[in-house]
Parts: sequence; C-alpha cells; structure tokens
Amino acid sequence: MNNIYLYQDDFISLLNLINYLIKNKIKPDNIKPLSYCPTLLDEVINLKIEPTNNVIDFIIKIGNNKIFNIIYYVFLSDNENKELIIYYFYLNLLKYQTNIIYMRNLRCVTKALKIAKYVGNEAHRLKGFVRFQKLEHDIYYAEIAPNNNVLFLVSKHFKRRLKNEYWLIKDVKRKILSIYDKKDFYLIDEDNFQINDLKVAQEENDIKNMWKEFYDTIAIKERHNERCRMNFMPKKYWKYIIEMSDE
Amino acid sequence: MELKEKLKILADSAKYDVSCSSSGSKRKGDLGNTSFSGICHSFSADGRCISLLKILLTNCCIYDCKYCLNRQSNNIKRVIFTPEEICYITINFYKRNYIEGLFLSSGIIKSPDYTMNLIIETITLLRRKYHFGGYIHAKAIPGCSEYLVKKLGLLVDRLSANIELPTEKGIKLLAPNKNFGNTEKIMGYVKNNKSNKFVPAGQSTQMIIGATHESDLDIMQKSENMYNNFKLKRVFYSAYIPVNKDNLLPTFEKPPLIREHRLYQADWLLRYYGFKTNDLLDDQHVNFNLLIDPKANWALNHLQEFPKDINKCSYYDLLKVPGIGVTSAKRIMKSRQHFQITFKDLKNMGVVLKRAKYFITCSGKYFIDKTFFNKNFIEANLVLEDKQKSNPSRKQLSFFNE
Repeated sequence: MNNIYLYQDDFISLLNLINYLIKNKIKPDNIKPLSYCPTLLDEVINLKIEPTNNVIDFIIKIGNNKIFNIIYYVFLSDNENKELIIYYFYLNLLKYQTNIIYMRNLRCVTKALKIAKYVGNEAHRLKGFVRFQKLEHDIYYAEIAPNNNVLFLVSKHFKRRLKNEYWLIKDVKRKILSIYDKKDFYLIDEDNFQINDLKVAQEENDIKNMWKEFYDTIAIKERHNERCRMNFMPKKYWKYIIEMSDE
Repeated sequence: MELKEKLKILADSAKYDVSCSSSGSKRKGDLGNTSFSGICHSFSADGRCISLLKILLTNCCIYDCKYCLNRQSNNIKRVIFTPEEICYITINFYKRNYIEGLFLSSGIIKSPDYTMNLIIETITLLRRKYHFGGYIHAKAIPGCSEYLVKKLGLLVDRLSANIELPTEKGIKLLAPNKNFGNTEKIMGYVKNNKSNKFVPAGQSTQMIIGATHESDLDIMQKSENMYNNFKLKRVFYSAYIPVNKDNLLPTFEKPPLIREHRLYQADWLLRYYGFKTNDLLDDQHVNFNLLIDPKANWALNHLQEFPKDINKCSYYDLLKVPGIGVTSAKRIMKSRQHFQITFKDLKNMGVVLKRAKYFITCSGKYFIDKTFFNKNFIEANLVLEDKQKSNPSRKQLSFFNE
C-alpha cells in the first residue's frame, strides 16, 4: 500500500504537515490535497494538524526569503509531484540551510529550482500578456489561463501598477477571480461573485483596433520570423492576447 | 484624418529604431510604475519584443539622410501628432496593459530646438497632467541646445541619440546633415549628469549595419569606444534594410541578419565577459566568422588555453568557455565549494553542454577520449551543431556511428 498524507489544500497546511512528518521521521509515499481521489493501492491518512505560521518563520530563519519563495513557487506550480518535491527540499534544507540552493547535485534541489523558475517566468510573462478591457463604470477586466496558479503574483504587480483603477482578473482555468478595490485585491471563487450585466465601454473597440493596427505596423516584413515570435510568445497564450486572438 | 491612420504612419516610420527595452528604472506615479527588469508585452511577426508604444512625433524632416524613409526628398504623406493625441493613445494603451510606456522619436521639424521643444511639451503633459509613471524613452535631437537635453532628461527614463553609422566617413556620405560631434555632445552631457532623477535608465545608441563599407572591426571599435567614453547601457545594431533607392546605397534582397547577430554576440562579450575588441578581431581578421560565434571562434584560436577544469579554474576562465554564461559561471563557483561537479551536474546549472563539453574537463576527465581534443574535430562539430539548429529538418551529419 502507498501511504498518502492529506493536507487542507492550502500552502500553510502543507508546510505544517511536512514539518510534522519530518519531525516524526515519517516518510510518505506521497502528499496530496483533500480533493485527491485515492486509487485501490492508496491508503489515505488525514492527520488534521492545526496550521500555524511558525513554520514559515522557521523556514526564513534557517534559510532566507529567497528559499521561502522557491518553496512557495513550487507550491503554485502545476507539477503533480510538487508536494513530494517540497518535502524532500525541506528535508535537505534542514541539513544544508542557506547553501541548499548550490546543491545542484541533489535531484530535489534541481527539480525545485527548475519548477520555481518556470512559475516565476510564467508570472513575469503574464505581467506583459494580460490584456484588460474597459467595461462600463470604469472597470478594467482581464482573463488569463496560465499553466501555474500565478494569479496572486500577477495581482501583486497590478496592485502597484494600476493602483487608482478598479480591476478584475479571472483565472479561467481555476475559476478564481482577483478583485481590486483601489486599496487591495482579494482572491475569491468565481461562484461567489456574479459579474452582472457588465458591458464593454463605448470607446473599447476604437482603442482595440488602434492597438491591432499598431501591432501589425510595427513588424518589419524583411525580418519576418515566425519561430522567434512563437518562442517568446507561445501559442497557448494567444487566446487572451487581443492582437493575437484572431490569428 | 482619423487618429488610427496617423498612428499607422508614425509607427511605420518609427519601427526601424531597435531599442524597446523598458528596464533599469524605478519610477512610481499615480498612473503606473516601471519594472526594474523590464517587461515585454507582445512580440511582433518579426519576433521582436514590443514593450513601448514606439512612434514618431512627426515624420516631417528637414534632413535628407539617404537610408531613411522620412528623408526630405521622399514623396510620402507627412503627419504630426498633437501632444494630447499622444497622451490619449499612451494612457489608453497603458491602462489596458498593452504597453510598458512610450518611445518617442521624431523627424526634424523646422530645427532641432523646435523639435526638442515639441517632444518636451508632450512628455511634460504626460507626466504632469496625467501623472504618468510608466517608462518613457525619448530621443534627443542632435544639434539642440544643452538646456533642452537637461529639461528632457529630467522627464524620461532613458534618453538616446543615434550615432547612425560607425564612422564619420559613412555619416558624411549618407547623412550629410549630421555629424558625430553633435551626437557625442549629447552623450557626454547625459553621462556627466546621470542620476536617479536624470535619465535613470541610462542612455543607448544605434548603428546601421551594412549600408556602408565599414568592417566589423570598425563597428566594434566604435562600440567599445562609446562604452568606455559615455558609459552607454547598450549599443544597438540594425541590419540595413533598403527602404530607398539611391546609387550610394547597396541593394540586396535580405538584410545581413547573421552579421547583425554576430555583432550582438560580440557586444555581449565586451560588456559582460571581459573581452576586448582586439581579442576578437585584428587587421588580418576584420570581420566575424559567420559560421561560428565569436566566443567559440576565439576559443578555437586559443586552444592551447583549454581544456579548463570546471572544479579548479578561475571565474574569468569559466567565462571564456563557450556555452558557459555569467549566471552558470557564478553557480559553478558556488557549487564546487560543496561538491565535485560532474558533466551531469553542469546540465542542471544551465551550461550549454553541447558547446561547453569540448573545452572543459570535470576533475580531470574529458567527455570522450582526450585524443579527440584538437581544432579540426571541435570546429567541425560546433559548425554542424549550429547548422542543425538553424535547420532542424535536416539531420545532423556525424563522423561516428553512435
């Protein structure tokens, strides 16, 4: 049988569970969120540990902010073994402390660094690729469908950038919304929020068309390079990038 | 005229300016901020990044530079933006996250000072009336008064003046109204006054490649000289594209893109790898080898200095190895304090092993029998590697059956 330990879907619960497992020298076969569907070979164990923030302070104390971010970014990824990677990364963190990021001969370290970079890159890319539409009542609205759960990271960026506007960003894949009220943003389930009768603002089409015109004009025909464009702006993002959505 | 049509004309004439970077500045405003690392918002069909709304204020020009679309003698439609129009487009594009900011250049209308004043008026409006805190890259117009450079520099993140061609001779031939002196005067002023408030993201410049007969050595010497004298952030190289017919200009089907690529590679070697122009080119070799990149080419010509041992050699030696960059060299330096690095670990550190492996040993071990360590073997493999990369449909030729 595989011993599968369950956590309450959120980051703090996962860290508390891993911390508990390591302290009690338990080696899990896997760690999964509550929503996990067990197979016949799985034995699921739900320890129901009371989550506390102490574990975060502990990670930052023996490691540093950068190392904490690596762990957090791995958690945001779509990697199906991310919990186990965090478990082994944490285990080695206790041994190597701040030097862990140089231990690139350890599989869990190279994996974690690679995944964290992948998540960071996607968040960075989306800072550029998000396209807002202006709705009536001066609300700016955008949809994204990233591979990783980067809505929080993207929202943090727009909180600074568009601080005096109302905006909404929807992660279509995960069905979550980020709502900004000119003070802070909140992540909520799509089901808990109705976007009622929100119509696109009057000038929206003119601006959109102007942008498309600019986009087509700025390319130099003699230098046409489809492969290069695709490398930098993969097709999976095109659906929500208005200048590409017709292509 | 519709605003959209104006935008089309003035973006079309601005597109040959290469720079679109939006990095190096920490600015905050009521509307917008800048990102220190820069953000690309889109990529055009030629694969170039779009981060700024790149436009000319006007395509009217009193100059007659042979290579330029907007030269006085060309019979084209001339238009001019009002400052409010530029603000309207910039703000609306910015709020929808199409762009990171504005890149504003211009043809010379009436005089350099008159043109500079229009640019300053526009950007002042954007910053003061609309409280725009996004990135602004503006062109300084060579020949303008110094106090205007000062005024503009306090409003923008990056200021640049284009040197246009690598030698004074080239300028005399193709851009008779321009000269090095005026451009360098601006560069000197920016260098001496740069601060957190004045041109915080630094200055850059641009040269056209292949319109005149200068060699790569001429070009790199000019770049090196400008990096040293004016502390430029970047020199951009722009493969010449024949937009005009003129018996002083070359005619060709395809712009010299590989040559441009080699110049960029060499430019990186100057700025980050401790190379000097004289290491890469000399009187016998005035142009880069188009088949092989400048760093690998240098390594092949200095094979007596290789192979370098990953676990022993210095940081600067690591930087000399093809396939090892600044980031991976730093990682190697840190990691090898903790364990002996093997070829497998190098892959995890971001080293491009298919280039680096010919030039290194890991704790004394070469990746195959050391008798293969000779120039012909390595050169053939590197060239074939690149050929395959640029033409993935073709299978790589191999000397050995694997």
